[in-house]
Amino acid sequence: MRIASGILMMAGILFVLFGMIGLFRFRHFYSRLLITSNIDAVGMLLLLVGVALNSPSAAFAIKVAIVGIISLITSPLSTHAILRSARDSGYRMKPGEKA
Amino acid sequence: MTLYTIILTIIGVFAAADIFKMIKGPTIFDRLLSFNILSSKVVMAMVVYALATSQSYMLDIAITYTLLSFVSTVLIARFVRTQGTLS
Repeated sequence: MRIASGILMMAGILFVLFGMIGLFRFRHFYSRLLITSNIDAVGMLLLLVGVALNSPSAAFAIKVAIVGIISLITSPLSTHAILRSARDSGYRMKPGEKA
Repeated sequence: MTLYTIILTIIGVFAAADIFKMIKGPTIFDRLLSFNILSSKVVMAMVVYALATSQSYMLDIAITYTLLSFVSTVLIARFVRTQGTLS
């Protein structure tokens, strides 16, 4: 169980690494928004599953599950809020493009 | 050098890169995006620290921090979108 937990946590860190590489290498803002939205969707959920597999008690695992559920609800909403803020403020991928 | 120390070190390096991007970012939306994923990384580090020390009080702080970061991100995004009026 310790080995499976370690493998899942390292897989979560790997997805966070993908998101960070995309944050620094992608050229447009909407591409960066797309690639960083899997940091707190895929990477964080894999890491939380890995933590919950190795938890010392049942209450610990339930609290980790609550953190996962709240993150799964709120992370697409905050990504959508940033995207809508950028688009309504007139930020386009090409300058001069119509809405 | 256990596994938890390695994971916490990697998350710390990513958070430092994130703060660099937050300072350097060309527009305000890049800074907002960097703040969003920085708070996500803080929650990850809190959960791994709670597992490393086997104490569950850190998880309560993690739940509260998740909700607070969501509220602050949405508030700043709405503040920028409506150009200063929040009514």
